[in-house]
Amino acid sequence: MTLLAVRDLVVTYRTGAGPMRAVDGAMLDVPAGTIVGLVGESGCGKSTLGRALMGVLPSAGQIASGSIAFEGRELTALPERERRALRWRRMSFVPQTAMNALDPVQRLRAQMLEVLRARGGLHGAAARARAEELFRMVGIDPARLADYPHQFSGGMRQRASIALALALDPVLVIADEPVTALDVIVQRQVLDLLRGLQARLGLAIILVTHDIAVVAYACDRVAVMYAGRVVESGPAREVLERPLHPYTMGLTHAFPDVHGGDEALVPIEGAPPSLLHPPPGCRFAPRCPFAVDRCRAEAPALAPRGVDHDVACWRAEDAVALRQRAAEPATWAA
Amino acid sequence: MGGVSGPRLTPPLSAQAGRGLGERPVIAARALTKTFRAHGRAIHAVRGVDLAVAAGEAVGIVGESGCGKTTTARMLLRLEEPTSGAITFEGADITHLRGGALRRFRSRAQLVFQNPFDALNPRFTILRTLKEPLRNFGIPAHEHAARIDEAMQRVRLAPASAWLNRRPHELSGGQLQRVVLARALIPHPRLIVADEPVSMLDVSVRAGILNLLRDARDALGLSAIYISHDLALIRYVCERTLVMYLGRVVEEGRTTDIIADPRHPYTRALIAAVPVPRVDQDRAPLPIRGALSDAPPTDTGCAFRDRCPEAFARCMTEAPLLRTIGNGRAVACHRGDA
Repeated sequence: MTLLAVRDLVVTYRTGAGPMRAVDGAMLDVPAGTIVGLVGESGCGKSTLGRALMGVLPSAGQIASGSIAFEGRELTALPERERRALRWRRMSFVPQTAMNALDPVQRLRAQMLEVLRARGGLHGAAARARAEELFRMVGIDPARLADYPHQFSGGMRQRASIALALALDPVLVIADEPVTALDVIVQRQVLDLLRGLQARLGLAIILVTHDIAVVAYACDRVAVMYAGRVVESGPAREVLERPLHPYTMGLTHAFPDVHGGDEALVPIEGAPPSLLHPPPGCRFAPRCPFAVDRCRAEAPALAPRGVDHDVACWRAEDAVALRQRAAEPATWAA
Repeated sequence: MGGVSGPRLTPPLSAQAGRGLGERPVIAARALTKTFRAHGRAIHAVRGVDLAVAAGEAVGIVGESGCGKTTTARMLLRLEEPTSGAITFEGADITHLRGGALRRFRSRAQLVFQNPFDALNPRFTILRTLKEPLRNFGIPAHEHAARIDEAMQRVRLAPASAWLNRRPHELSGGQLQRVVLARALIPHPRLIVADEPVSMLDVSVRAGILNLLRDARDALGLSAIYISHDLALIRYVCERTLVMYLGRVVEEGRTTDIIADPRHPYTRALIAAVPVPRVDQDRAPLPIRGALSDAPPTDTGCAFRDRCPEAFARCMTEAPLLRTIGNGRAVACHRGDA
């Protein structure tokens, strides 16, 4: 069952140089109980999309058009009061830096109780019991509720931030780069925690990340973003093993693999385009080794190709051949 | 811009060179120790680290935040005063260098900064950024243009003239990191030290910077020390690796040997934790307990014992020494099969 369906979403930011379309026609489906990786480079719009879904865009940002359907309700049409009623209760947010979710001058217990009271109307013994239950759920000794955030390690802070997000039993958690700032061991432990919560609570999670290895490890599905658009989506295995978009193909060769062979890593030369003045046609065309004239003139829409696998590429029918060429470093050398 | 390396050359077997069996190491440290004092408490950031890097060799120091890897690197570069221990560079003791001699050393041993967005003065043009080290290290003015051209070529920002009048905000993260690398190469160092050199960069450009670092080392015979928590990255650029845990080296050897056959239980956890870009992979719980903050507060026994799935009685009372186990490898663990 689709829990969340995003269609043609456009999010703009007011800037000194005019409106910037940070998200420009994004499409995303999140089935209930699945972990969906939203992957892309800095500035591709993945964090903006996450914030737009949660309804916590910065003041310069706004949803310009498109639709967000969540549990059958159209969020973009919802009055702020009803939107607020969903926030934290049905969907919640884990920011990249746990310190942004935690108040440095309050003990964790006070913060948990405040959230449970203000957002959930829970008081007294029931709230205290729930705070302890939440800490146990994320693998922290409830005795540590007496601590201040600075007494926690980075990994524990991220766990506490996840506990806050889970306080009111949401069905969807949007986690913005939750493991990026963490060392590999702690990163893995937090990913295992998220996977465990998914399994135990039937939680759906949107995992915003720039790391394809994090997607491979933790996600059931993946949506690849480039320059404000979702350019490929599908089951993680399908997308990572049989990528249809040249950008996804490039990403899969740019990563060092600790158990891999001696082959050289292949960079994708160039940089993503400015979203103030995006190129006409496919936005990846200026960096794409396979671009043809049509790619530079006309933007491809995200369309199904194969079972449950969508791609926005004019050359998708050549994907098998392109995949082979994409594995050659010379293909990407400008 | 290419940035694509050919297949990996067979690295110099530094484990030998570094140990003085072959040529003299470029940089070597003996019993390097750093103790910080905070609120009347001693924090043992680095405890007796031995290390040697041969000419043209790249050595990785891998471990989590707080393991002492960055402090070790800063001591090697004389950016941090060691509490005890000795450092030699090209055979000469540099532990207590001052003044002009220290400046000369700095021109020979360069740091590549982690965050290119912080490393460059936003008001300076690239030209001014690159001229600064030339002036600081007293390179004659008539050599400046050639040095700048050479360094920019090396980092594939050519022709240099297209870039020199720009300022940092006009460059992408990957381009900035190339400038940072050019600035490090410009004084013709023997050694570069890179602390998480690509952690702030986007994935698609990381590979290009790593390839540049590899190419620069091969072409110039540079020695390099890379600091990272990510063994996948270290494996790509370093033939030899030291694994640090709470201030000590717990395992050392050729990177490929360590990854294929880790001997220290901590190294095993570190390798298991590295995310791999494949859907089919081991998702078993990590063979490690607790967190770094659960480390034992006392000095008795092995510092890893409370997190170690294999600890036994001896680990509680006696700290294991780093012992050589052949083939250029060493491990600090009491287990007989380690």
